[in-house]
Amino acid sequence: MLFGLKSLRNPRLDLLKNVVLFKDLSMRDLAVVDNMLHVRHYLADEVIFDEGEEGQGLFIVIGGRVKITRPVGVNQVSLEFGPGSFFGEVALLDQSVRTAQARAVDDSEIVSLFRSEFFSLLETHSTIASRISYQLARVLAARLRQAIIQTDRHHEAS
Amino acid sequence: MNRDLASGPLVWVGIIATTCLLLVLFQTILWLVMPVLLSVVAYYLLAPLVQMAMARGMTRARAVFFVTMMLSLFLAALGVIVGPKISSAASNWRNKASDYFQTGEKLVVNAETTLSKMVPFVHHQTAKPPEETEKTSPAPTPIDKTTAPSDGQPNKAVAEEAKETAAATAELNDQVENLTASYSGGIALELLHWVPSVLLMPYLTYFFLLDGPRFKRFLIRAIPNAFFEKTLYLFYRVEDQLRRYFQGLLMLTALDAFCLGVGLWFLGIGSPFFLAGLAAVMAWLPYLGSIAGGLLVVLVAAHDSPNSVWLPYEVVGLFIFVRLMDDFLFMPLTIGRSLSMHPLVAVLMILLAGAVAGIAGLLLVMPVLGVVMVAGQIIGELATDERVLARHRHAKLLRQRRARADLYAE
Repeated sequence: MLFGLKSLRNPRLDLLKNVVLFKDLSMRDLAVVDNMLHVRHYLADEVIFDEGEEGQGLFIVIGGRVKITRPVGVNQVSLEFGPGSFFGEVALLDQSVRTAQARAVDDSEIVSLFRSEFFSLLETHSTIASRISYQLARVLAARLRQAIIQTDRHHEAS
Repeated sequence: MNRDLASGPLVWVGIIATTCLLLVLFQTILWLVMPVLLSVVAYYLLAPLVQMAMARGMTRARAVFFVTMMLSLFLAALGVIVGPKISSAASNWRNKASDYFQTGEKLVVNAETTLSKMVPFVHHQTAKPPEETEKTSPAPTPIDKTTAPSDGQPNKAVAEEAKETAAATAELNDQVENLTASYSGGIALELLHWVPSVLLMPYLTYFFLLDGPRFKRFLIRAIPNAFFEKTLYLFYRVEDQLRRYFQGLLMLTALDAFCLGVGLWFLGIGSPFFLAGLAAVMAWLPYLGSIAGGLLVVLVAAHDSPNSVWLPYEVVGLFIFVRLMDDFLFMPLTIGRSLSMHPLVAVLMILLAGAVAGIAGLLLVMPVLGVVMVAGQIIGELATDERVLARHRHAKLLRQRRARADLYAE
């Protein structure tokens, strides 16, 4: 603090800076994105979204943990997401339905970026939106690669 | 969410009832609704400019300030150019109004005379018995040369008709003068009453542009988690509906004004684009507005060119042509796409709105119905989605359990 002035820095921006999608953005760009985010608070065991629901945007975990569960045959596949990670990103691209259920494991603070607001970001701040899109494409490509490897392993095992 | 899911009759009854209730409410606070409505129109007109400025690297606050300043300068320049003309026109509006009423009356009389010449049946229907005419005519007036027979022989029927016409004209003139004299003060007071509302409009528009997204997030924050995503979608749909409706309406007004303006210019009428713009704006009021706008231009045409008998009819023809273009070409291309509504529902709602809320209802019914329709359909979907309701109850239970966790000592 200089000359008794309060810091105007938003602590959430530091956390957003660590999110893979936003890693190419400057703090100023992040402030633009932050103005478009919706903050939600979920209690432990509260459902965030259900499988089969139409997704409207992606969720970023700011605090707490979130479990994504998907039934595969008789088993359930689950993944846990902590602060800085994100899920539901496909809904940012199209109006498809959710393929898994998301539920808060702990009390969680989550921010959401809505698809229509992302599209408006593409119009007003195309550089920021294109950087996010590029990182999103990289994440999706990595997940696709991983899925292919897992399918191959599954085929080899059977 | 199934987008093809049709709303049931109960939802539609709710939509119609809510629309009517809102229209009745809006009618009582019209002084506030009108500036808000005009501000929303201005917001959707200016929002693309703000977005363009933001795309060039400005912050929202700077972009809004820049666009508002540019608009203010433009309006100030327009005021300097057009202001003196408007004030001089306003100073003699009483005489003008009287003139236009007299022109309208003459036009009706001419139309009747022409029709009676062309169709004898009409002539017999309009002609009254001589004794009745004697009673109603206060004083004999000279016979109109145009209606007198060419051979110079006295024609009693024509003379009676001329007398009747002159009497009716004198009576109408008196009425018009009395009307303008008695209502001019009232109209001026009514206009003064609307001044604060009009001044509210730029203020509202500025803050809609500046804080619109922040206000939306503030409203969404109050929505329970279970309904969050669907509410986001609802907001998006409502905003999209309003944006498309008002932008469509503005585009339609511009197209109407352009076509009418070109037509009026071609017919040789003075200030064609001003009159066309006025008529196009008046058409915002369904049915009545179009008729009033058309009548205004016909009166102006008849007043400015008194010797041209056919000009008013040509203007009427032009209006009918532009109306047809409007209904079958322009409207489907502009507003028609914004409100995916059955035409029968739209017409019935316009009639219902006129019955419950008068002129204000007619003006507001389409945007209000569009918003209530989207909101009703999505709320109807949410209210019947058992899974979402169960999730909401579960979340409430978790919160209640958390709230009373340490209330009871062991």
